[in-house]
Amino acid sequence: MSAEDDLARATGLLRAHTDSSWTGIREALLERAAAAFRPSAPVRGRHALGDFFVASDVVVAQLRAAVDAVPGATAVRVLCTTGEADVLEQVVVELSVRYGEALRDVAAAVRAAVGDALGALLGPLSPGVAAVRADLHVTDVDLA
Amino acid sequence: MRARGRGLPAPEAEVDDDVLVRRAVMGDRGAFTEIVERHGPALHRYARRLLPDDGATEDCVQETFLAAWRALPRFRGDAALRTWLFTLARHQASAQHRRSAGNRTRPQLRPVDPVDLVDTADPRGDPAQLSEEGRLLGDLDRALRLLPERQRSAWILREVEELSYAEVGAVLDVTPTVVRGLLERARASLVTTLAAWR
Repeated sequence: MSAEDDLARATGLLRAHTDSSWTGIREALLERAAAAFRPSAPVRGRHALGDFFVASDVVVAQLRAAVDAVPGATAVRVLCTTGEADVLEQVVVELSVRYGEALRDVAAAVRAAVGDALGALLGPLSPGVAAVRADLHVTDVDLA
Repeated sequence: MRARGRGLPAPEAEVDDDVLVRRAVMGDRGAFTEIVERHGPALHRYARRLLPDDGATEDCVQETFLAAWRALPRFRGDAALRTWLFTLARHQASAQHRRSAGNRTRPQLRPVDPVDLVDTADPRGDPAQLSEEGRLLGDLDRALRLLPERQRSAWILREVEELSYAEVGAVLDVTPTVVRGLLERARASLVTTLAAWR
């Protein structure tokens, strides 16, 4: 086997290789990042007097409260994405829904609640109900 | 019959890096965790070959992701996330060299420990084959150690991490033409070194 063949083979091995020490530092790395302070990202809102910014943490907290107020639903995770000029583009709400609830009704109520909350928070720059996705997860189903 | 529903939401299908970035910018730590899981092994592999030991590599990778977490709100997306992370890692490695190099002019690299091969080798594989693969990787690491840092970085980023010439150029802050030259010299040196060790 030539040195060029050796190099090609060793390159392939290195490409598929994960250093064993990586797994040891992964958890510590995530803990450090979780503890690290970072200013909250801005989300642009609009008012008759002009544009303003709301901290993303505040947006998420308000949406979570709005979802939790819907009977039978609990927000597991609220994901917001902004685009150009910090305008909110999409909201994904991952929901835990009590077994036995009418899922379509719960999802519709959640979308409406989130849409209302966004309108109150961001004014005309709210992306509206069309940008809200409700992912439902039914938990703890016990069938005797 | 008794059935139990899932207690946790199923993970989303593969999400693009730019979506993960936008979510992480909004403070979603789950998205950031996914970024770490997705790019951590490659960053570690790269940093490990720029730095002298596991401790320095650990510091470098941790500082890289910490810097990324803090800087994400200012990340404009001009480059791919992966390219940006490699750039941060290279800067961190350079900073560590400046802090700890003393009168050393070239980083000391450790050959691959055969123990590291547990992640990629088939556990039922032939021990002789495992040993041969460990030897090959060890030889490659030693040969890489002999290269100047820019050649080594260019070669790893292109041949191992499969970045484009433009992306490698962005990490090294040089033009794609310069990257091509660095790669040619790196490849020639590696072949010559490996041939001498046959």
